[in-house]
Amino acid sequence: MRNFHFLLAAWMAVWAVFFVYELSIASRVGKLRDDIERLKRQVKDG
Amino acid sequence: MTLARAAAIILAKELRLEFRARELLTITVVFALVIVVLFSFAFDPTAGESRRYGPGLLWIAFLFAGSLMLNPSFAREQSNQTLDGLRMAPVSPFAILAGKMLANLIFLGVAEVILVPVFAVLYNISLAGIVGRLALVLLLGTVGLVVTGTVFSAVASHARMRELLLPLLLLPLLAPLLIAAVEATAALFAEQPSLDRAWLTFLAGFDTVFLTASWLLSDYLLEE
Amino acid sequence: MKARAAITVAAAGLIFFAGYAALFIAPDEATMHEIQRVFYFHISLWTGMYTALGLAFVGNVAWLVTRQPKWDWLGVSAVEVGVVCCTGGLITGVLWGKPAWGIWWTWDARLTTCFILWLLYISYLILRGLIEEPPRRATLSAVFGIFAFLDAPLVYVSNRLWRTQHPSPVLFGGPDSGLDPAMVRVMLFCMVTVVFVTLIVLVDRYRLEGMRHELDELRLAAEAREFKSNSVPVKELP
Repeated sequence: MRNFHFLLAAWMAVWAVFFVYELSIASRVGKLRDDIERLKRQVKDG
Repeated sequence: MTLARAAAIILAKELRLEFRARELLTITVVFALVIVVLFSFAFDPTAGESRRYGPGLLWIAFLFAGSLMLNPSFAREQSNQTLDGLRMAPVSPFAILAGKMLANLIFLGVAEVILVPVFAVLYNISLAGIVGRLALVLLLGTVGLVVTGTVFSAVASHARMRELLLPLLLLPLLAPLLIAAVEATAALFAEQPSLDRAWLTFLAGFDTVFLTASWLLSDYLLEE
Repeated sequence: MKARAAITVAAAGLIFFAGYAALFIAPDEATMHEIQRVFYFHISLWTGMYTALGLAFVGNVAWLVTRQPKWDWLGVSAVEVGVVCCTGGLITGVLWGKPAWGIWWTWDARLTTCFILWLLYISYLILRGLIEEPPRRATLSAVFGIFAFLDAPLVYVSNRLWRTQHPSPVLFGGPDSGLDPAMVRVMLFCMVTVVFVTLIVLVDRYRLEGMRHELDELRLAAEAREFKSNSVPVKELP
């Protein structure tokens, strides 16, 4: 298969781009969830 | 108060302000000249090359100098907090915007009137017989620059780093205008000068689209 | 949770089969052979990008008209996802160009348009980062977003006109001029896959934005509470 490494690189690049982005969202969601829980408790007790 | 009358009053105010200061015009012209001169050092053009690259250089100089010149339009209002006063006046937001657009058009127009002959001398391009048609191309291109630039000046005035932000917002958007204006100018600078109808129509279309969009969105641009 | 797991599995399945289809089911192309298969993902990413940017436009207009925060969330999520698709489109374009024509880049109408749109929408994201108050940020970025969306077809048309006047050294003859029906089927399948993944990621980003909004509201509530408990009642002042 000619130019196989380019083809493979392209296919991996496509899904890597989506995957990395999705990971960044997931980590931000996790952090936000913690902050929200903390603030919810603060508002309830305060 | 009609739109035309309101815009005219705003225009008069802007012109009066600038006439007293005059710094803006000077800086715009000098900056454009600096770009033109630097280009000659970077590329050392021959006569043939001048004809090929000249239009592109001219319009890049206008775009850069223009986007610098458009910044203070709303920044001045911001720092002096005069925008509230304007808003309370019984004029439509689009009148305020239109007045500023016209003022910017005149400022840039004056800058271009100074720059184009200088450019023609520096690059040995003959303007004989094409002045009228060149003026038309310059007008259509500058209108597009001024309409989008004034709108984005309003947008950027509320953001941090607005001096850098305005060119960043403006220049990618103006890519089609740049292509059209350069091609139309190149057709005029050619051995057999001709007016390229296709690109002129495109420029007119560009201007119309964004002028209409500015009109429709003017309320949101100037709100509190 | 279960719905989300099912969707993830479906997406994974689609991605796997799309890759298989592009690599093995699609017939061989006469001139470029294997590397041409990148084309299925390259065009699909464009489709994803236009879908996302179209949704962004809807969000921008809807915010200006209704002032409901959820439309602003849609706006920023769709633009971010659109930029992701555009980045993918540019990368696949580069990875296709080098083996196919020996050059990393060519200034043809489509690639140039993609690059400018990429810059334009990144500017949108930068603009948002530089405005603090949420309602103003939403309004101004919506105006810019609308302008950017109106500019997109103008960018393409001007580049197309320009490139036919000055044809680029490499002829982009167009794998889409007279496509083999088998190729069309694989193409459609890949498009559906990419758009599906795009929408999933968009929904996740949208939810994130919603959570941010919730956090801001909670912060305000917490501050209000603190303010109330710290402030001195008037009659106790000396």
